[in-house]
Amino acid sequence: MKKQTTYILIISALLAASVMFTSCEKVSPQGVLIGNTSVDDRVKQSLVNFSAFEVAWDKSLPDTVLEYSFIVGSDSHITNDPGRLEEMLNIGIDSGDLFFCHLGDLADTKAEYYSNTEMVIRNATEKWMDKNLVPYTKENGDVYIDTLLYEDPYTGNLYYKNNYFIFPSALPFYPVVGNHDITHNGWALYSRLFKTSFYEFTVKVGGKYDRFIFLDSANGTLGKYQIDEIENGFFQRDKKDIRNTFVFTHTNIFRPSLNEFASTYCREEMYYILDKLADWNTTIMFYGHVHAWDERDFGNVHHITMPSMNFVDHPNGGDDLLVRITVTGDHEYKMDKVGLHSKERSKTELEALGYYVTTK
Amino acid sequence: MTLLSKRNINFAAQITNCLIMKNHTTCFLKRLALILLVSSTISTATAQYYSGDHTFDGEHKNELSGSLTTGNNIITGPAIGNTWHYKHYFNSHWSVDGGLNTQYTKQLYGIKGKGEYHLKIRSFHMFASAEYMFNHYHMFNTNENIGNMSVRFERGYWDITLGGSLIGYNMMGDHYTEPLTLTFGAHATLRPRTHHWNVGLLFRNYDDFYYENWNINWGLDFYWRLKPQWKLFGEFNVRPAGSMSQLASKYETTGKVGVIYRWR
Repeated sequence: MKKQTTYILIISALLAASVMFTSCEKVSPQGVLIGNTSVDDRVKQSLVNFSAFEVAWDKSLPDTVLEYSFIVGSDSHITNDPGRLEEMLNIGIDSGDLFFCHLGDLADTKAEYYSNTEMVIRNATEKWMDKNLVPYTKENGDVYIDTLLYEDPYTGNLYYKNNYFIFPSALPFYPVVGNHDITHNGWALYSRLFKTSFYEFTVKVGGKYDRFIFLDSANGTLGKYQIDEIENGFFQRDKKDIRNTFVFTHTNIFRPSLNEFASTYCREEMYYILDKLADWNTTIMFYGHVHAWDERDFGNVHHITMPSMNFVDHPNGGDDLLVRITVTGDHEYKMDKVGLHSKERSKTELEALGYYVTTK
Repeated sequence: MTLLSKRNINFAAQITNCLIMKNHTTCFLKRLALILLVSSTISTATAQYYSGDHTFDGEHKNELSGSLTTGNNIITGPAIGNTWHYKHYFNSHWSVDGGLNTQYTKQLYGIKGKGEYHLKIRSFHMFASAEYMFNHYHMFNTNENIGNMSVRFERGYWDITLGGSLIGYNMMGDHYTEPLTLTFGAHATLRPRTHHWNVGLLFRNYDDFYYENWNINWGLDFYWRLKPQWKLFGEFNVRPAGSMSQLASKYETTGKVGVIYRWR
């Protein structure tokens, strides 16, 4: 009898596993259990891409502007409906935020979902360019007029208005890569759009600089190569008169409550990161990953772990799924929570808008 | 000298027979043992051994162990250090264990104390333990305090540990205590616990001087009783970064080789 019970249990487990894997299009358990790229490879590729594309994201505000804002969202896990990312970017563009950051797990790893993400980015780029670009009229001191050429007033980059490149995009959208962005060869999809997972830029305001650092922790570690780059002074290359440093990464250090996953950094690495944040005189460190809000001061740094913005966790939206940081001075800022309230659209609506709709 | 002992010659002969008699189950296990032994011997170049839980082999004898630890991690690169343990039995149920850890390259220093209660329940050995550990991560000026309570169940060829840890740390004048963290360990061996040599496979989120969060270490360990009082032990341990879908990158590969002295 005991043997029979054991056999029944084993057969049931095998059947359950079979159903689970055959009902999913991606049958390789490798994608579930193991990320397909190592952080070292991604960082190497990021650095090559960053220099190859001659990315210039450093911004300079006019002398009369002494404060600016940016918004941050996390864990959109885009599938068929990229509506929440669309809503976030619309809010940011309409409100005049200087740029928009995303803390990873941007889309679940299917080509269709990244195509939907790309559509959102292109549409937002078009909207942002319409609103912000100014006609380019000068070159080398001479009057120069090209009716098609426009200038980003903050970076000085030139764009043809009908070219909505994804990378380097005119849209000031700065994501970090999350663990769901690297499963099932997801990095191939992610990097096609965003090319880099390890980068920085500065904002010049009132003669000083605010520094924005984006770290790749999708594997639950910064990895040896990234740490070596940091230790070799990657973020100190052109050490300027730094006023604030804001750091963005996916994997959390602090655990919002007993119900959420603990940090997946190894202990020493956690202490290394906290120590490094203090070295950088960081103003705010942003994390995602656990889909829950946490806010605390530790080591002279304000740490914010963001909730997710996806439809699964928040089908009816919420008033606190994004944050807007208005930077007003040296370690002086105002933080406001921003709501997202869009509802998931039907298959018919999405197809009418040109989005790919697949079985999840 | 040990390698030429009669016991080892017999073992070598058995292994040779195994290689000829390919279908016999026992021989398969011994071949597997040979492969694992060779692997662990190779890996002891950077090997480490978890010596905190000296498996019960039928006798309660006070033990002193010393080991050399080496390894490589993403922050400090190569690391080297040593670990010391003393385990004292008051009687067949109660014991205490004290340990010291120094890792020079990491500038990591730790001490710990552990009390354990042993109870035999039918064919199981149950060990309930309470432990306090203090680590100073000098490189990051961080002090870490860990309290752990665990229960370990042992049988002939395997053991499982379940428990919880409270981990707090101080840094730059601030303190943070993490919510209760699960402690999990599983260990299976090729030979029974009373055997004079053994090789095991381990999965767990802790080691001698740390309790991890959600990261599950894995590795191989072995021991070889050289004489009644002396036992050689070793371990190869991979400490991954992240968990589940994050697991493409490792954080640390470490190892330990050491000896245990038992009072007779």
